[in-house]
Amino acid sequence: MPDTLVPAQADRELVRRMAAGDEAALGELHDRFSTLVHSVVLRIVGDPDDAEEVLEETFWQAWRQAGRYEEGRGGISTWLVMMARSRAVDHVRSRRRFREERWEQLPEPAEMDGGGADAGEPSPLESAQADEVRRVVAQAVAKLPPEQRETVELAYFRGMSQTEIAEATGQPLGTVKTRARLALQKLREALAVLREDGR
Amino acid sequence: MSLEMTHDDVRAALAAEALGALDGEEAEAVRAHLAGCDECRRELESLRETAAALAYAAPQVPMDADRSARLRARLVARAAADRGGASADAPPPANRIGALASGDEESGVIPISRARGRRGMMGGGWLAAAAAVLLLIAVGAYAARMKGRYEALSDRYASLDQERTQLVQAIAKRDSTVAALSGPGVQVIELASTQRRAPGGRMFWDPATARWTFFAHDLPALRPDRDYQLWLITPAGPVSAGTFKPTPDGLATVQATYALPRDQLRAVAVTEEPEGGLPRPSGQPLILGTYGE
Ligand SMILES: [Zn+2]
Repeated sequence: MPDTLVPAQADRELVRRMAAGDEAALGELHDRFSTLVHSVVLRIVGDPDDAEEVLEETFWQAWRQAGRYEEGRGGISTWLVMMARSRAVDHVRSRRRFREERWEQLPEPAEMDGGGADAGEPSPLESAQADEVRRVVAQAVAKLPPEQRETVELAYFRGMSQTEIAEATGQPLGTVKTRARLALQKLREALAVLREDGR
Repeated sequence: MSLEMTHDDVRAALAAEALGALDGEEAEAVRAHLAGCDECRRELESLRETAAALAYAAPQVPMDADRSARLRARLVARAAADRGGASADAPPPANRIGALASGDEESGVIPISRARGRRGMMGGGWLAAAAAVLLLIAVGAYAARMKGRYEALSDRYASLDQERTQLVQAIAKRDSTVAALSGPGVQVIELASTQRRAPGGRMFWDPATARWTFFAHDLPALRPDRDYQLWLITPAGPVSAGTFKPTPDGLATVQATYALPRDQLRAVAVTEEPEGGLPRPSGQPLILGTYGE
């Protein structure tokens, strides 16, 4: 992830303070990232109550694991978003198991559109920089061939495994893997361009 | 049976892993390979960073402001309680008092301990207790939200809420006890006995606030219809500071408020009396502590 996404040093300082037991830093982390994390979680779970629950679990996990965060690795937003996505998907899966529903019966989430432009009130991440990231990601996603976009959508936002995706789309497993790989490679290239432009 | 995957197989599966889409057996095989392959590990990290950026592809929906403020408050309270619990290695004040009250086993009438400052009792244990209340409040708020969705939780919530109320009351009581023991001018009078099981006690007297706090240990069990009675012995005669019954393990605490000039206390004593107590002691003291400036 290009560190254009976030002022990396300030965020790492927050995580260092959390690891040292400073609960105010957890509040600040929440202020900085709740809109981004809420957006992705709401997209996955589809219900504000469920989203709140997942957000609480996610930020709590961040508090408990702050000491194990490795600075040399990904950025703070990646760390948080990946924890949130995984918890949201678990949430949907357990709910699905509970209701014995098939994934086809879940409410259809809104089409992946890059959002942002007409989103609600500004958050700390509504900086020009974040807007730029959002624009680039939206463009890159929009340029993906429909079958690649669908694969990413089903895996990332619907929490489906590659086997489930293969069944749902009637494609071989290898094809699902290839589509996922091509989609992420294109997105990575787009983000790399953003980083070069930003310097 | 574990799945065998070559480096190239793993490379081909890394995007699916970054999207969290690998099924169990394959995910295990990929993770096993990653442990020994830097190249694949770096590639996965890069793909994970990319996948995380997909969060920006979701429509940006800020959380409802009230909901967000409540969540933030809950998180900070939970974190404060978490930190307080982890760092509180000092025993809570009551434990220290218990240790104080049960230390002396010598026989005979114990001379007076002169006034000792009792500062420094508000340690980390106290902070932890306060943090625990915050945690319970946070849990209470959380339970309140769940209640509407899961009716079955309402009973649990009621008991939590009651527990919280009891804890708040217990801590308020402890707070006032600590205050009564920790004033700069608090006097300490020790009471002891010649009996075999050596009952004993300690009286904390703060002349400034007229607060008396008494702890006793190893008190023999009472016969039915009997009470222990605590006396302040003054030149004008004994003044009752109340009656009490010990716990099954012989412990007792009495608190009283009674204004007495500093030079008017001669001794503190406990006698056994008919239930409800008497205006004057009827027998010999079980434990006694004399006092003089
Ligand atoms: Zn490899």
